[in-house]
Amino acid sequence: MTVNVLSRVAERVYWLGRYLERAESTARLITVNTNLIMDLPVRLPLGWRPLIDITGSGELFESLYGKRNATERNVCRFLATDTRNPGSIINSIVGVRENARTVRENMPRITFEYINELYLFARSALVPGQPRSRRGEALIQISRLAQQLEGFLSQNMLHDAHWELLRLGNYIERADMTTRIIDVRTVDLIAGHHELEPFQDIQWRSVLRSFYAMQAYHASVREPVDPPLVLEFLFNDERLPRSYLRCLNSVRRSLRGLPRNGAAVHTCDRALKALQDTDVARLGGMAHSVELHQFINDCQVHLIELHDAIVNTYFG
Amino acid sequence: MTIDWHAYQSAGFHDELVLPSGRARAGAGELVQALAKLSDDELVERKTAADLAIRSMGITFSVYHDGTNIDREWPFDIVPRLILKREWDEIARGLKQRVRALNAFIDDVYHHRRSLRDGVVPEDYVLKSREYRSRCAGIDPPYGVWSNVCGSDLVRDADGSLYVLEDNLRVPSGVSYMLENRAVMKRIFPELFEHYAIHPVDDYPTELAACLRSLSPRDVRTPRIVVLTPGIYNSAYFEHAYLALEMAAELVEGPDLVVADDDCVYMRTISGLERVDVIYRRIDDLFLDPRAFRKDSMLGVPGLMRAWQAGNVALANAPGCGVADDKVIYTYVPDMIRYFLGEEPILANVPSYRCAEKDHRDYVLDNLQDLVVKPANESGGYGMLIGPQSTRRQRDEFVRVIRANPRNYIGQPTLTLSTAPTLAGAAVEPRHLDLRPFILSGEDIYVTTGGLTRVAMRKGSIVVNSSQGGGSKDTWVVERATKERVA
Repeated sequence: MTVNVLSRVAERVYWLGRYLERAESTARLITVNTNLIMDLPVRLPLGWRPLIDITGSGELFESLYGKRNATERNVCRFLATDTRNPGSIINSIVGVRENARTVRENMPRITFEYINELYLFARSALVPGQPRSRRGEALIQISRLAQQLEGFLSQNMLHDAHWELLRLGNYIERADMTTRIIDVRTVDLIAGHHELEPFQDIQWRSVLRSFYAMQAYHASVREPVDPPLVLEFLFNDERLPRSYLRCLNSVRRSLRGLPRNGAAVHTCDRALKALQDTDVARLGGMAHSVELHQFINDCQVHLIELHDAIVNTYFG
Repeated sequence: MTIDWHAYQSAGFHDELVLPSGRARAGAGELVQALAKLSDDELVERKTAADLAIRSMGITFSVYHDGTNIDREWPFDIVPRLILKREWDEIARGLKQRVRALNAFIDDVYHHRRSLRDGVVPEDYVLKSREYRSRCAGIDPPYGVWSNVCGSDLVRDADGSLYVLEDNLRVPSGVSYMLENRAVMKRIFPELFEHYAIHPVDDYPTELAACLRSLSPRDVRTPRIVVLTPGIYNSAYFEHAYLALEMAAELVEGPDLVVADDDCVYMRTISGLERVDVIYRRIDDLFLDPRAFRKDSMLGVPGLMRAWQAGNVALANAPGCGVADDKVIYTYVPDMIRYFLGEEPILANVPSYRCAEKDHRDYVLDNLQDLVVKPANESGGYGMLIGPQSTRRQRDEFVRVIRANPRNYIGQPTLTLSTAPTLAGAAVEPRHLDLRPFILSGEDIYVTTGGLTRVAMRKGSIVVNSSQGGGSKDTWVVERATKERVA
């Protein structure tokens, strides 16, 4: 008898994948921003607000903390520990755990120990208002535990339909986060702030660091950090695990391992075609920031359509 | 300070490990001695290691109405309980005998009712039982077995004699804790396993899977087996998931299943609908099928009873099997054994008074202070009166409810449940316990080796239910040790 997957289980595995990726990338975002802030002069308008925009939760943040209150303390609390924010690290980890609780029989038994460890650690180590050093250690550890969990699953879980669904969740979330980081870091952050130009190099480096991709960039591109090249690298380098192209290709590969994949594969191919038809490097120039933003918007729409196709095919 | 077994007193009770003299019971010598070699710090260290193992393994049970915290770590005691293999073999024989008779009785109730006509059990008790399901009449579950998974509770009185307290024929739980207890013990006391020939318990999932497979209506090589759970908020959800995993069965909730126009059961999957052969259901009869029973049930599957009646799916346990899981019917089990099997009962019932019978009722009402009074159909230790620990007001309330509905109550003498040494802080103190073995009936019949030992963690308490502050211990069925030692 072929191994099949319950629709309900499929949905939970998919979300497990998304939440795990989200917890990890949010932890990384805060870490990278903390480092960036330390490299920039204090008087600059750059701050913590971009992180709120990256996660697309401006309205919620303002309703909870007020309009001009994007302080380090508030933003970190909102993104890390605030249970009122559905996308906070703690809620993402709770999401991982809750979804895992209901699908634990579909993974190696010890998986739940790893997940529990991540959950218990996050709950005890993340404290609102804690000093940067403590927060930094906690976030790095969370990022590590999350990556360890992903690695563990990759090396030990049966690579069957459950696995493909988990990867779908991982890669769609990752593609989403990749485009958001590029969007905010390159458009909102840099455009229009002429006093920042001397620090542009630092900011582009911070974009790369958000992906742990500084060394990868140098190894792959072999040129100094330059906006068009960075964009080309982050969107189109198939060798970079977090590049948009790589994410889409991975989504496509995972879909091929699932039954009834027609509609979703078709949607994925349209997203790939749109990427292929766009000269991403050209959008790296200051003059094209509006176009870049529009292109990223289109990418996000493709990802939403892809998500919907998966929901409609498999979770109904 | 280490454990001083001579100072250990379980006065007036039968202790499972230690004799009143402070000597170890037969077979327990090695264990008692090994524990006495540990310093206080080491004992506490092992306990902490056990707690950690349980925490990280995510072994939890949840309690209804426990607010937001649906996970609570499940209390585990690190001192195992021992039973000699020779005694166990006899108990296992008695359990098989009992369950065979109970299944024969249930099958009779839903068919010819010979035993009722012959006056073995009063017809009135059976047909007015809350668990009697008229729509099950005439159904033929495989092998005539209705309760495929039974959990019988055994207790020992002060003089060491063993009694069956009740037979949980409907949806007994706890077996996963039996299995996990052993896993935890192996982690924290690996050296003890070198000295003892402890009989393994981990064949249970394999046996359960074989039992369920034997029920399949379709003659296919690998029938599709599912475990039907009410979902993650159920107190036994951990167990449902655990068993599904161990059996490589699918863990499903009601909405995952659908009964199609062909009266067959299917599950919703990413490839579409897939046929289901056997449902190990862990939800009560009344929630199984909103079309047949409770209309407001969100847990069940509309049309499931229709599919079962058509013989297209097996349900374990069979709906209606609870008719014999009734504390009044329980009092007739020894008679059932004689009637259906022509054998004398191997295991004893607790002497019981049926409140529906006038002389029994009068006795119960006159002696409430000394008796335990139980309602016919509650489980989990709810709704009962423990005479010696009751208040005047509680007893008055029971006089009222017994008079109002005598059929629903039985009285039993308060047994002084046996004890076993249990860690309390860094000291070891006696705590009361019982034992729940599990009996599987399908094509074959199987009894777990030992079972789940439940222990009342509160001093003096005899309520061992996990929902009311009970914990558990690993249960070792051992060959008699080569030599006994003074502890």
